[in-house]
Amino acid sequence: MSDLLRAPAEIKYADELAWLESVDTGTKPFTWRLSPKMIRTFVLGSQPGDQLDRKVEQKWFGDAAIVERAIVTLASDRGLLLIGDPGTGKSWLAELLSAAVCRNSTLVVQGTAGTTEDHIKYSWNVSMVIAQGQSRASMIPSPIMTAMETGAIGRFEELTRATSDVQDALISILSEKYISVPELEENGTVFARPGFSVIATANSRDRGVNDLSSALKRRFNFVRIPVVTNRRSETEIVRFRTEELLRRHQITLDVPPTLLDVLLQSFADLREASAAAGSDDERLESALSSAEQIGVLEDAILHSNFFGRQTLTADTLASSLVSSLARRDEDTPILNKYLHGVVAPRTEDSVQNSGEWTQFLQGGQAALKALA
Amino acid sequence: MSPTTAPVGVFDALRGQLQDAATAFADGPDALQGLLLGLVDDVDRAVREPLEIFPVCHHSPASAVAMARRLREKQPKVVYLELCEDMAPLLSELRNCTLPVAVQAFATELDGFPADWGPLSVVAPITEASAEYQAIAYAQSTPGVELVLVDRSSDHVFQWEPRRATSPDQQEPDEEAALHGDAVGVEIGDLRPRFAELEEHLLRNGRVRHWSEWWHQYVELPLGDADHDTYRQVMFLVGSLFRRLAPGESARVRVDEDRERYMWTRMREHLAATGTDPGEAVYVCGAFHAASRVEEFGVHGATGFEIAPRTGTTWQYGLIPSSHTAIEAQFGLAPGSVSIAATQWTKNLKRTRAVPFRLERPAGGKKPAARTPARTARSAPSALPGPATAADPAGAAAPADRLSGFLRRPGVVDPVDEAELLGWSVGIVHAARRAGYLASTADAIAVFETSVLLAGMRDRAKPTPYDFQDAAVTCIEKDSVPGRRDVRRLVEIMMGGDRIGRVGYDALPPLARDVHDRLAPLDLNLQQRGVKRALLDIASRPELERCSDLLWMLRYLMPAGTARPIMGERVLGQRPIQESWDLALGTHQRALIELGYEGVSVEQVLEQRLRRKAYHPLATTATVLEAVEDATLYLRSARLADELGAHALKVLATERTVESAPDVLRRVRRLLAYYRTSQPVLPAWIESFVTSGYAHYCTLLPRAFVDEDATVRQVAAMLGFLFTMESLALSLGCDRTQLELAVAQSHPEEPSRVALLWAAQVQLGRLSRAELRGRCDELLGNPLVLPSYPAYLSGLVHALEPVPGLVDVVVEAVSQALGRLPDPVLLPWLPTLITALRADNADLAPLLVREAGRIFPGRLAELDQWVPPWREPAPTAPPTSRARTDAPAGVALLAAHPAACDAAARLLGCDATWRTAPAAPAGARLLATHPEAALALEALLTKR
Repeated sequence: MSDLLRAPAEIKYADELAWLESVDTGTKPFTWRLSPKMIRTFVLGSQPGDQLDRKVEQKWFGDAAIVERAIVTLASDRGLLLIGDPGTGKSWLAELLSAAVCRNSTLVVQGTAGTTEDHIKYSWNVSMVIAQGQSRASMIPSPIMTAMETGAIGRFEELTRATSDVQDALISILSEKYISVPELEENGTVFARPGFSVIATANSRDRGVNDLSSALKRRFNFVRIPVVTNRRSETEIVRFRTEELLRRHQITLDVPPTLLDVLLQSFADLREASAAAGSDDERLESALSSAEQIGVLEDAILHSNFFGRQTLTADTLASSLVSSLARRDEDTPILNKYLHGVVAPRTEDSVQNSGEWTQFLQGGQAALKALA
Repeated sequence: MSPTTAPVGVFDALRGQLQDAATAFADGPDALQGLLLGLVDDVDRAVREPLEIFPVCHHSPASAVAMARRLREKQPKVVYLELCEDMAPLLSELRNCTLPVAVQAFATELDGFPADWGPLSVVAPITEASAEYQAIAYAQSTPGVELVLVDRSSDHVFQWEPRRATSPDQQEPDEEAALHGDAVGVEIGDLRPRFAELEEHLLRNGRVRHWSEWWHQYVELPLGDADHDTYRQVMFLVGSLFRRLAPGESARVRVDEDRERYMWTRMREHLAATGTDPGEAVYVCGAFHAASRVEEFGVHGATGFEIAPRTGTTWQYGLIPSSHTAIEAQFGLAPGSVSIAATQWTKNLKRTRAVPFRLERPAGGKKPAARTPARTARSAPSALPGPATAADPAGAAAPADRLSGFLRRPGVVDPVDEAELLGWSVGIVHAARRAGYLASTADAIAVFETSVLLAGMRDRAKPTPYDFQDAAVTCIEKDSVPGRRDVRRLVEIMMGGDRIGRVGYDALPPLARDVHDRLAPLDLNLQQRGVKRALLDIASRPELERCSDLLWMLRYLMPAGTARPIMGERVLGQRPIQESWDLALGTHQRALIELGYEGVSVEQVLEQRLRRKAYHPLATTATVLEAVEDATLYLRSARLADELGAHALKVLATERTVESAPDVLRRVRRLLAYYRTSQPVLPAWIESFVTSGYAHYCTLLPRAFVDEDATVRQVAAMLGFLFTMESLALSLGCDRTQLELAVAQSHPEEPSRVALLWAAQVQLGRLSRAELRGRCDELLGNPLVLPSYPAYLSGLVHALEPVPGLVDVVVEAVSQALGRLPDPVLLPWLPTLITALRADNADLAPLLVREAGRIFPGRLAELDQWVPPWREPAPTAPPTSRARTDAPAGVALLAAHPAACDAAARLLGCDATWRTAPAAPAGARLLATHPEAALALEALLTKR
């Protein structure tokens, strides 16, 4: 276990990656560290049919075809754009893929309104420029440029948050695969080495903020990542991430499966209510994604571990749910309505309820009262 | 079972192997061993059955090719087919159709099923790339071959599976997938794991997304070239595997087993009845049923299964058009899979050179008749030993254990070759560009590359159509879909696309044929799908009037869009001159065919529908009158109109509410106008309708005035009926006092109804217009009732319906309101007035506007001098006052016109005779002494 708060995937799964590399017999494109099939196994976990001596855990949950299409895109000469709602695991998939392909998932540019062209090309170390003039030594390459130079995967998070001129700077990088540095008289062009590619992510809720130009669209393959609505996959995701958290905090807390069910059910109910709501005021502000679900559980686990009775209970879960989802004034009545209209009848149903819903209701109501 | 000894050892080697495997994987003899050996037993048993079982899978080209080959080789005399037995007579009509079509059993008159299940519909879609079609085509085109359908009847489908009928899938079908309507689908050879985990496992390990894809990859392709024995054994094995690994859903298992018992019972009955040698027959069934373990299984199986009688439900049969999309949607197959199967079928045929059986249209009857025997003749030498093999079922089993070899062989490489893939890549880019995508040659290259990479990733040597689809989506689909179709759909279309079948003219029910015959003068190919524009110039071609009649009926009976008038309308009493129509009969062929189940002609169906509508227990007078109107309009049937009209009378008599009054009024007016202009005498029913309606509404009026449920509009409509039908009603013997009494008994409290009552009183002469004006004025002057003035006004506006003569008063009242009402009262009411005028009283607004146009000045310049008529000073000196001041003139008048006086005297009972007055003073004196008569006369004369 590393001593980092959050180790990047290549460090976290260093062992596994090294082992996979050692047993990988498939053809590897460019300078890839693993073959596409092995990357698939790394991301989606191993199957008995793979005949591996060691079990590889599934790390990203969703349609296998999505992962396959993403990997194949990286092997082609196009960039990969993962597009989807917030919290669907786009960045996580991007990180896993870059870790598996080149063992470096940290060459990241974060797209914001303040991202400039320098962030994706290069900038200068001003004091060095004054002292020595413009040279390769005084140049600060961007993560993308570094990726080009090393034949690695560069990542661009939230591409659509960056302004159009910045996005367009990517076009030449993706098509010509070089960056020219006109300030340098010699070696004024940085060429990409084989293996270089870009994984960008874009939030589908940001559509229209800074729409991609068609030229840039052409240079990306779009892979849409849907919100997980499959109960089983969602359980897997939540369990996977929670275990990770428990390990990280070295907490020995038991998460009863019934509580996991309560959490999943409550999110499913709230999603349904959100889908049926007529206006934004009747809808929770939260996107109710799997990530949010994990956040609620994390919150509850940490709370019960440090302030509670060392066991996770439904009321802690409910109060954590209320406090993470009540973000605006309009959210409180929605949650209140949910507790009274949906949870309360469930507490009276002896088939569905074995005590945890009652506790959940009480916890939720107490949290709402505290908010008021 | 003579040859039992021979095949005992056939599968021994395989058994041994499986036993070892079971021991190795499950640490000892347990369930796994039982399962594995059970599989082999099932195969063994099915192979040894004297009646050759031919296992098939639905929409599987491999099954179809194997079937075609086997039929040519064996030439069986009898073919038993797993298809609802009552559908048999329809199969001969298949030759008139373009596949895919579905055989349909349809029932609307239920007997023995809950009424709310209806209409019941069962469809069995048939595609060309299917084994069942091969069997049918073989049996139909080869003389001396009998095709026997042995599965349970459509009736039993619902008897045995009632739950499916009550809770149909709630998926919303798109227009292409909805071709089958909400029918229950039956198909031959439903083969799919029933164990969700098994399917998931197979999909995951096969690196495929959908069951159809798995089947295509792992069974369809490897079996494409397999010989008969291998094919059979593998299919038996697959059927047995799915059967043994099915969860014990008792209801489903029971239905399946009952079906097997049913089929075997029927086959044995047939064998016994005809004396057919089992060796000369083939039983075509789903592989799932081939692995049956019921006791009745086999020619020598147990007897004693009692086939339950059918219910009393009357079933209608027909062929309806089907489509690949509809089949996929109905049976949960992957989108595009049936099209891919069809493409695979053509490819298989080309590669294997198997000659398929096809039903040819009778028009070219000579040709197929000549061709089929020729082909059979060519294969005859090899076919001759057919009976020998058939008579010796062991012969089929003896050569084989084909299973061991098949199971050990690696997966067959998908024969998608590079050129084909290249063609697809270029094709999809073209298609995408046409659909609005910004796709370029670079995309074609990317799609090609990605497909190859994806296939490699999924352990396939070459990409399958499904890999190609994924690749195309990856490379071409961006964040939004520019047109109607996305890339996935475009690929499906490219891979063969949806094929929509068509039922040929000869296979249509009489009604549909009749429709096509009668529309023949239009010179349009209405059998074709799509919208056709028909122009009917009836003035120059009177024979087209009959087409027009039919089109209007079709518009009434068929779903929206089948026949849509662009120009022309059908109104009572009008003859059409020119019409133009958009016709889509080909697209809505199913609806037309289903219409055919209801009767033999459109008129008959329409009459039934109208009757049903009129006699419905919830029918109101208005609906019955509507039916009368429709009967006159579409059928021109006075007989039906009279009958329904008489029924309307009965319905009216039982009605206690006035809800339908506005509608009734509108329709009766229209019908009366029609009868008056077109018939010498009014039909008896409408006369009695008017008189009964008059009495009926008179009776209901006082209550309706105070009833909160009745709206002002409804009460106004009642009054409208009473006032506008009055003359007719009185001439037919009604009594006006009835109406007067009814109005006198009405005491509404709600302002709008009070205003309505005032209007009625004005009409009856009990209130003068001046008084009505005065009342309105009073209301406006009284600050306490001012807020409710708009309500009075609404009443007055509605009163225009029964008393249109009041329109000037209403215009005045509205003008006054606009001028005098304070804004807080006026403004909230204005929208209500406008909506009331526009929605309910569309015909009142023009009346008001016309009157207002008359009253208000037409030009701006005139406005300055304009004084509203109601502000004009009253006529200065009424003529009566002159009479009073000028007494001698009165005497002169009296002398000049004695008749009025005589009449008054007679009325008063005075028999006095006239005497000439000697002089004026004498007359004046008489007047002075007896002023009563003069006063009475004055009152009479001045009364307006």
